[in-house]
Amino acid sequence: MKIADSFVVAAPVERTWRAIRDPQVVGACLPGCEEIEAVSPTLYRARIGVKLGPIAAKFAAEVEVLEEEPPVRVVTVTRGEEGGRASNLRSDNILTLAPADDGGTRVSYEADMTVTGRLGKFGFGVMKKKAQSLASEFAGNLEARVNEAASGG
Amino acid sequence: MEFVRPDSIEAAVAALQAEGAACLAGGATLVAMMNADLVAPERLVSLRDVAALREASRRPDGTVVIGAMRRHRETAEETDLRDGQRVLREAAAQIANPPVRNMGTIGGSCAFADPAADYPPALVAADARFALAGAEGRRTVPAGDFFRDWYETALEPGELIESVILPPAPAGTVGSYTKLARVAGDFAIASVALALGMDGGACTHLAVAVGACGPVPARRRDIEAELLGGPLGNAEIGRLTDALAEAFDPVDDVRASAGYRRRVAPRMVRQAIGEAMQKLGETQ
Amino acid sequence: MTGEPVTLPVTLRVNGAERPVAAVAPWTTLLTVLRDELGLTGAKRGCNQGVCGACTVMIDGEPVRSCLSLALNCTGRDIVTVEGLAPAGALAPVQQALAEGNAVQCGFCTPGILISAHALLRRNAPLSVDEVRAGLSGNLCRCSGYKKIVEAIVRASEARP
Ligand SMILES: Cc1cc2nc3c(=O)[nH]c(=O)nc-3n(C[C@H](O)[C@H](O)[C@H](O)COP(=O)(O)OP(=O)(O)OC[C@H]3O[C@@H](n4cnc5c(N)ncnc54)[C@H](O)[C@@H]3O)c2cc1C
Ligand code: FES
Ligand code: FES
Repeated sequence: MKIADSFVVAAPVERTWRAIRDPQVVGACLPGCEEIEAVSPTLYRARIGVKLGPIAAKFAAEVEVLEEEPPVRVVTVTRGEEGGRASNLRSDNILTLAPADDGGTRVSYEADMTVTGRLGKFGFGVMKKKAQSLASEFAGNLEARVNEAASGG
Repeated sequence: MEFVRPDSIEAAVAALQAEGAACLAGGATLVAMMNADLVAPERLVSLRDVAALREASRRPDGTVVIGAMRRHRETAEETDLRDGQRVLREAAAQIANPPVRNMGTIGGSCAFADPAADYPPALVAADARFALAGAEGRRTVPAGDFFRDWYETALEPGELIESVILPPAPAGTVGSYTKLARVAGDFAIASVALALGMDGGACTHLAVAVGACGPVPARRRDIEAELLGGPLGNAEIGRLTDALAEAFDPVDDVRASAGYRRRVAPRMVRQAIGEAMQKLGETQ
Repeated sequence: MTGEPVTLPVTLRVNGAERPVAAVAPWTTLLTVLRDELGLTGAKRGCNQGVCGACTVMIDGEPVRSCLSLALNCTGRDIVTVEGLAPAGALAPVQQALAEGNAVQCGFCTPGILISAHALLRRNAPLSVDEVRAGLSGNLCRCSGYKKIVEAIVRASEARP
């Protein structure tokens, strides 16, 4: 399942990049993210909860940075395991930053996601909509964060 | 996991206040999800013994109240649903197959809020309201606000659906439910719930809700209101279908692609209105 | 947090007899109790999702899915399985009709088909092909022998007094 979209943040590329590479900022913006820790500069661990109607899942996830080209591109892989309940998630992600017209930054993302195990039985159609809506919530949160940081100096 | 079988709405609401508690109605969705290991509620609150939830009644003004535990088969045969309200009967009759209709309930279907389910568009087109009961008391929510997002409703934790309330439909209106599915009894690829009234070539009542084309039923009351009092020709119906299409956000799934749903739904609306006009003895 | 499952003893009325079961967990389905506890293996587990109909039984006279019915929710109800359609050793008219019409291939769907057909035949009137097809729409036959199944049931409905 592939999702791709982009959004514009009203902050220059450099500042947006710093926010995106700061696990605490990303953790705070990611809907359902309960904790995040940096194991190394290129490896993070997080606990993420997702809910779809009555179905709730908690993943122990690892995000590994595979390639980066500051401040414009980062390639990551996310692997998630649902404690003991036999669902696995993998997502290959590419994030690119480019200057937008008005001095802001266009953030584009592409993710190729697979879910196997019990949650894999649930239709992909709606899962994709859910992933898209989580992504746009993330975008909104990130934008608010970056702008807040900007106005706070 | 615990199992309780309260015998009143109050006792059911009290039992639902525990963390991880869930209502069990017909089980047609909940038990299937438990079997697939998708959910494991910590407490099942069976509504089977709550007699008040199993009743349906018609008030003198034509309002029909359907208890949450009324099964699809009963609703499909509900003679109290008249005129435009019949949209709900037709929807119920097209759900799944006889054994599932003998089990599944209107409360369970609406609480689960499957975007391809048949009741949500029918209830939105019927201008129905949901009567909810929770620890804080009772409240009613219009169907259009009850369905919120993919599998999300206005139900708060610890709240249950008590009944669905259909306002009287103007006499002489017709209600219809058209469902496109791969085979009879499958979930809809797209569906159209309609209530229509015409008088001497002028539209007197119009409600169209499209199902399975987005997270919640699509309805455009603004355009419907503008079309009241005038003829319903190609141009008018086109305005409505164009507006409805703006509200679509369909999925690609095993039943059909999003693109197919976008193409077929407006034609289904057009056809449903045409057929309803024929029933009313009106020409387009 | 699953905790200790709270199992309960239940007594189910199956094919006219009271059948006690010592410990049933909340998530245990009627199908599981019938097959694993009561030795009534007529109802089959095809999908466990309500789709195939192989597990269809009658509760209070109506065909339902036993795989979607929780056993603890079935107390005080009348459950009839395919084993209860006729006295031991005999065949109910609908069973006779399916046998005579060669309407059974592997037989996996047959118990569910018989329950749905039995409910249809209770109407006591000759049935059309369309009525039978609608009545059986919740029963899938993987051997795909629908034609003979439908014909046999139509014939059984015509043969009734
Ligand atoms: C093979 C098959 C085919 C189907 N085809 C269709 C179809 O074509 N169209 C269609 O619309 N549906 C279809 N369904 C779904 C069917 O209509 C279900 O009956 C319905 O979705 C759930 O109703 P239920 O009473 O069985 O609820 P349950 O499965 O008991 O409960 C469903 C959910 O609602 C909650 N709940 C139940 N009652 C209440 C209440 N009163 N208040 C608050 N929460 C409550 C439960 O906690 C649970 O989360 C199909 C199901 C099957 C198995
Ligand atoms: S096993 Fe119950 S319907 Fe398939
Ligand atoms: S006879 Fe084999 S499944 Fe029907």
